[in-house]
Amino acid sequence: MEETDKITWVIKDDIGIITLDNPPENYLARPEFLPYETLKKWTSYDYLKGVIICGTGKHFSGGGKLDKLFEMIRDEENVEFLMNEGKTALNHLEGLTIPVVAAIQGICFGGGLEIALACHIRICSENALFAFPEINNGILPGLGGTVRFQELAGFPGSLKMILGGDMINAEDALELKLVDNIVPKSKLFDYTFNLLKKMTYERPLPVIHGVMQALQNARKLPRDEAMLRETRIFCELALAETERRTKNSGI
Amino acid sequence: MANVAVTESFSTLRFIIEDGIGHVILDQPPSNKMSPDFFLEFNKIIPGISGKDELKALLISGRGRHFSSGADLPGLLNEIQIQSGSDEHTNEPVVPSFMLSNYRSFLLLEDMDIPVIAAIRGVCLGSALELALFSHFRFCGEDAVFGLPETSFNLIPGIGGIRKMTALTGKAIGLEYILRGKTFDAQEALKIGIVDRILPKRQLVGIGLDFAGSIRSGFRKEKKRIYLKNYFHQ
Repeated sequence: MEETDKITWVIKDDIGIITLDNPPENYLARPEFLPYETLKKWTSYDYLKGVIICGTGKHFSGGGKLDKLFEMIRDEENVEFLMNEGKTALNHLEGLTIPVVAAIQGICFGGGLEIALACHIRICSENALFAFPEINNGILPGLGGTVRFQELAGFPGSLKMILGGDMINAEDALELKLVDNIVPKSKLFDYTFNLLKKMTYERPLPVIHGVMQALQNARKLPRDEAMLRETRIFCELALAETERRTKNSGI
Repeated sequence: MANVAVTESFSTLRFIIEDGIGHVILDQPPSNKMSPDFFLEFNKIIPGISGKDELKALLISGRGRHFSSGADLPGLLNEIQIQSGSDEHTNEPVVPSFMLSNYRSFLLLEDMDIPVIAAIRGVCLGSALELALFSHFRFCGEDAVFGLPETSFNLIPGIGGIRKMTALTGKAIGLEYILRGKTFDAQEALKIGIVDRILPKRQLVGIGLDFAGSIRSGFRKEKKRIYLKNYFHQ
């Protein structure tokens, strides 16, 4: 197990588990989540088949402590630099070519919600609550949440959450497509872990990477370019498969 | 007379135009496997359809009990092997031209300004499901079986299936089904949003053609739900 700033990393059955570990509310020790270099190092093991992000105890995360943030600004720390670091870390997480799943229970606010939004899949318990409370302190989500939330939930829904500061429950979140599934809280972690195991079980890494890369391309690139790259990945895998079959038949 | 039927015959499919509605029938029963020859012929007719002004709609179905079991894997692997190579300047691997033609045909379907309807009986797997996903409407029989099993052959859906599937089902379900290579039935397909209606399989093509005829000119795929509601009254 490794730990930095009240966030832990452990690998179990080729699945990496990032735990926001600052109970009870798992507030982020750094408003920018964690240093990019740390996250990059943790996720660099080339045998990893998936990543889970969860919180210790009853909650996912209450986000960054705002008084801490304002204190840093008073001390003239370079907050813009730090927030960009956090964005780079979340972009790295989002760009991983293995599935990244958030297991969310209890509160998932502010920076916590931004972390969850950078995951590919979000599973929550019935008691989960989501909000961007930043507006109440005259600021806005600073780690890419305004962009990611809108991609999922559209413009009107984003206005209500980000400008209105609305808090929503698990049912509303499912309706908004903010979460993909609701499960009983006692089963949340096991469900999430098993989902990743089921998805990646028996699948060689190049195939997992291929599917994830194609999915990322479909989101980021113009349609025709994404199609071309998908076909290219397909052909690379097809050549490898042909080689494998030739070898096997030779023995 | 409006109802003149024009049939063009190929070795792997049939193309019929009747009452202004084009009907492509995958015609290599029993499984209507999508062989390299099928793709050659399919890629020949689709660009032609795009330019045909007299067509009001296009229906795609399979002959007999099944829509299609998808690509002929050994044939496909062989074709890719034969056509593989690197660009002489960049040294990057070149995508075989027939693979490019395949996805271009699918994109043409997606972009058609007439409704494209897939009528699915029996199995609809792999590239066949990708073909159906690029259609604007999908009707299936109670007996239909769907799946993108490519990952269980160490491949991925290679003609746009990942994008189309996840757009319809959401990333979580799409990823799960694609990575697990899971097959599923008509009810499940309806539940996860990849088919629009389950219909009695014997009437599938008939209803498909009738529905195609019900959409007046000025088709817009964004209005899909409205067309379905107007026709099925639910």
